[in-house]
Amino acid sequence: MAVGNSSALGELPDEMFQIIKAAGSALTPRLGRIAILGRKVMETPHFLAGTSRGAVPHITQDTFARDTSIGAVYVALEDFIERAPSHVPPIYQFHPSDRSSPLRRFVALPDHTLLVLGARRTPPVAAPVANPNTHDAIAVCTAVGFKTLTADDFAEAARHLQADIVVGMADVPHGRSLGSKRIEKATDRTIQWMTEQVGTRKEDATKDAAQAKLFAPLLPVSCRNQQYYIDSLTDELVHDVAGLAIYDLSSMEDLPEALHHLPRLDLTEPKNPHEVLQRIAVGMDILTVPFVTVATDAGIALAFTFTAPTALPGTNDDHPIDALPLGTDMWLPKHAVDLSALVEGCQCYACSNHHRAYLQHLLVAKEMLGWVLLQIHNHHMVDLFFRDIRESIAGGRFDEITKHFSRVYESNMPETTGQGPRVRGYQFRSEGRGEGKKNKAPFTRLDDTKDQAVEHALPDTHASVGKSDARSHTEKPE
Amino acid sequence: MVSLLKLAQVTEEGVRFLSPHDGTPMLLTPEHSISLQNSIGSDIIMQLDDVIATTSPDHARIKEAMHRSIRWLDRCISAHQNPSSQNLFCIIQGGLDLELRRECCEEMVTRDTPGIAIGGLSGGEAKAEYCKVVDTCTGLLPDFKPRYVMGVGYPEDIIVSIALGADMFDCVWPTRTARFGNAITNGGTLNLKSAAYAYDFGPVEEDCRCVCCRPPAEGGLGITRAYIHHTSAKETVGAHLLSMHNVHYLLDLVRRAREAIIERRYPAFVRAYFARLYGNEKGRYPPWAVDALRGVGVDLLAED
Repeated sequence: MAVGNSSALGELPDEMFQIIKAAGSALTPRLGRIAILGRKVMETPHFLAGTSRGAVPHITQDTFARDTSIGAVYVALEDFIERAPSHVPPIYQFHPSDRSSPLRRFVALPDHTLLVLGARRTPPVAAPVANPNTHDAIAVCTAVGFKTLTADDFAEAARHLQADIVVGMADVPHGRSLGSKRIEKATDRTIQWMTEQVGTRKEDATKDAAQAKLFAPLLPVSCRNQQYYIDSLTDELVHDVAGLAIYDLSSMEDLPEALHHLPRLDLTEPKNPHEVLQRIAVGMDILTVPFVTVATDAGIALAFTFTAPTALPGTNDDHPIDALPLGTDMWLPKHAVDLSALVEGCQCYACSNHHRAYLQHLLVAKEMLGWVLLQIHNHHMVDLFFRDIRESIAGGRFDEITKHFSRVYESNMPETTGQGPRVRGYQFRSEGRGEGKKNKAPFTRLDDTKDQAVEHALPDTHASVGKSDARSHTEKPE
Repeated sequence: MVSLLKLAQVTEEGVRFLSPHDGTPMLLTPEHSISLQNSIGSDIIMQLDDVIATTSPDHARIKEAMHRSIRWLDRCISAHQNPSSQNLFCIIQGGLDLELRRECCEEMVTRDTPGIAIGGLSGGEAKAEYCKVVDTCTGLLPDFKPRYVMGVGYPEDIIVSIALGADMFDCVWPTRTARFGNAITNGGTLNLKSAAYAYDFGPVEEDCRCVCCRPPAEGGLGITRAYIHHTSAKETVGAHLLSMHNVHYLLDLVRRAREAIIERRYPAFVRAYFARLYGNEKGRYPPWAVDALRGVGVDLLAED
């Protein structure tokens, strides 16, 4: 393997991203480093923890700093703008006294953690047909339904919020395939939005001390199919774009060499570690891994390591007879008396302090702590997974270990058997009337008391005088 | 078994209810309750009692429940395997009937349990009635045993109950109300879900020393009311953050109460607390608190 294309580094606005090791010009696994002033240096390939409304789900900010090693997070603007445009979203009016990033202060993110801002969550909730993207805006999903976010507002928000990396706004109709006409339209729009954002950033460059690095989103088609946009990226925009955001692996197939020096942010929603490896194999640098929180909500403790056990009974090269599961479903009653760690030898907070029996109990009792512990563990496992991947690339053994990994582990995450946390409105799209309840009531009445049930209200566990939440207690037990 | 009473059926044998996990019928007897608590190994364990909502009009049933609780206490005591390491607390019952409460106190005190709980309260009764029951019971209980008033958690109730001679409290309210976005502060409970707080970039409470409120420069998170508004009832993180604040508030409240007692200035502490809570408007003080405190020699309306 040759050391990366170092001549390309001279073209960068600054040396935020450095390729440490890559196999020539081909799209192969590569090692890199992202260094942004004031943040911890991030060795790549690495992952971004996904956030919901500014927090990694279930992880309070103190736990984040104390019990996780998450180095970078992805935050979606759509989580903060439900009152727009009729009301100015609160975060736009937030100006921390120390002039630091309003977004970072608002969500209480540690100073050294890398903050990446995009317009939409990953994975985004697909917009209904009635809310399409338009020539100057995209559909976003907020806590109060679908709204539009204009390119101007997005650029202005990006300027104000002072993230470290901003993913430019693209006309990606999530959940729909793109016909050739639609691609043409998407290409035109995205070129226009990117060009405008670059323009306003240039005007601001003199005013703002630190400007976020702008990542150019590629449309979810091959580069050939968005040639005009690729051309403008390699020509006019090349000095203003610090990275690429990839929404579909097809864009990677014919990525022109002129863009190879840029770090690649993967927003293609890998569903399991095999898909993570597939993406790293074609040279992704920073990956969002939504399956981690999905596993946590499902009560699954991730249980894979990249340097998987070598000797497996009953396994030969072609037929994995006893493939190992990628995770353990902690809802299963068999864990109820199991005092072992979630993963034997795991050093995470959850595994060092608790056992499977406690976790199973927390899930069954629907205690929020269950998800907290799982989320800590799962992020720890993914952190180690990426560390081992980087080591394997450095040692030239990535392909070999990946092959072994795919043989040893099952190809999909375990089936979900338990219930997750309460589902919230901004996490799914309502399909209309007659939908069943998304969250089941936890208690049922004894049959013989049913008839008398209306006689008295449920006695509150607390005294009566004029306090606010007795009513909501009976309506919305959590 | 007060909280979910509607979902259960009580007989002399024990309490029958459906498992919230799988819907199967379950029977909890005093013996089984103690055996579970013995295996859990907590420092304090509670007897199984028969609780009727204090607001129930069925006096005969309340009386039956009080006597049954005494019988169940005896069954709990004889089932208790670790009396040397686990402290069994009896639970005084008797609804709002002070005679029944007196009888229950006398009977239970003779059982000589390491601690004594006053139960069945906090079920929607008038606060004045509540205070009378606590006052009556504490008056009959031995000085050298901890008195635990069950299910009490509003700051005013705790402050007044301490004056009436109670030592310990428990309540789900601080965390439960946090899950609904309610913040406990010295000025009362604020519902941060209200739109009024969407743009409030101050801490949940000024000068609060909890992890949530303290500014980053002092090792805290510097969480704003606006951020709680942003996450409350939407993300579990919002519930966790506000729970941290609310639990800290109550722990700090009883810490301040202990300090005041040690320094022999509890009446002044109570007056200062109410003055702050009601913005110095004595007219807004709840009469039940004024009366209950007067009964134990604390004049809430006096000037310091």
